[in-house]
Amino acid sequence: MTDRCAEVLERLVEGVTGTVPPDERAGVAGHLAACSRCRDEAASLEAVAARLRAQGRFVAPPGFWEEFMRRLAGRIQEERMPAGARLRRWLASPRHAVGTAVVTAVTVLAVFAAIRTIPPPPDPVVVRARGLVTATMTSSLPSLGEMLDTWRAGLAHETDAVVDLKAR
Amino acid sequence: MGKEGAGVDAEDRQLLRAFMHGEESAFTALVIKYRESVYRVARRMLGSHEDAADVAQEVFIRAHRALPRFDGRSQLYTWLYRITVNLCLDFRGRSSRLPLLDDEDGARDRSGVPTAEDEAEAREAGRLVARAVAQLPPRQRAMTVLRLYQDLPYQEIARIMGCSEGTVKATMFAALRKLRRMLTEEGVRAP
Repeated sequence: MTDRCAEVLERLVEGVTGTVPPDERAGVAGHLAACSRCRDEAASLEAVAARLRAQGRFVAPPGFWEEFMRRLAGRIQEERMPAGARLRRWLASPRHAVGTAVVTAVTVLAVFAAIRTIPPPPDPVVVRARGLVTATMTSSLPSLGEMLDTWRAGLAHETDAVVDLKAR
Repeated sequence: MGKEGAGVDAEDRQLLRAFMHGEESAFTALVIKYRESVYRVARRMLGSHEDAADVAQEVFIRAHRALPRFDGRSQLYTWLYRITVNLCLDFRGRSSRLPLLDDEDGARDRSGVPTAEDEAEAREAGRLVARAVAQLPPRQRAMTVLRLYQDLPYQEIARIMGCSEGTVKATMFAALRKLRRMLTEEGVRAP
């Protein structure tokens, strides 16, 4: 293969697909006339291009374009809807109904679980009482803290009523 | 449109201007003008009518959104083909499969095929050619489709593919050689 062959092969793709610039046609043709190897290469590539081009053009099935335009108009219309309206419609569509239900259920459960795991705020009365408990009291009564909690849980309302009466 | 483009042909320019002034019917006219070309590129790239129809829809949806930003430096069809090819390359990437060829014998506008035997032979050859094209790497396939089926000049193909003209020619050369090998193995003769 000569340097000229390499040059011509570069131009060949344009030749076999039909676009060699006019000023280069003569040079390429001259080389092909003299070089059987490049001639064979050109002929076989041209046959491939012709084979591909011989395939007919695809034609969409009857009625396709009417449906295509209708669908396109619908989608463009949808793009113009406000985001909130689009979201509501998306959520309400049967295709997404199950997904929406599952996501809602999971969200509700997650919120419920989060609420349950958060500890309630400490009772101010118990906090005040614990402040009065000394180390000596705890050593002689180890379950004093628990007693305070039990007392508060069972007697809180009545105690608060007494406190209220005293306040008056 | 940023600049009223020197690249855009007069009819398209007029339609684009009307669209920018709020005439939705101008966009419809553009869709009608280019929908078949877009569909054919997608169909050749993806091999199935359904996939090509979906991609063609998406092309025009994106075009509708992006037309206000179209700078008019290239032809409108170059811009549309660019969207089409990118979507087809993405589409293949997502589904990671070869184009479907089950409807490769589907509606084709062929003329001058006289007998049933010739018809059957042409169909079989068409199927083998389509399969060979489908086996090309995506970018080679895109360039082959744009050059041999859409007859676009190399310069336009280079713009669409975002590379140099020389790269397109070298890629096309490799694609043609690959196709020649595959078709020879399948025993497909020149038409």
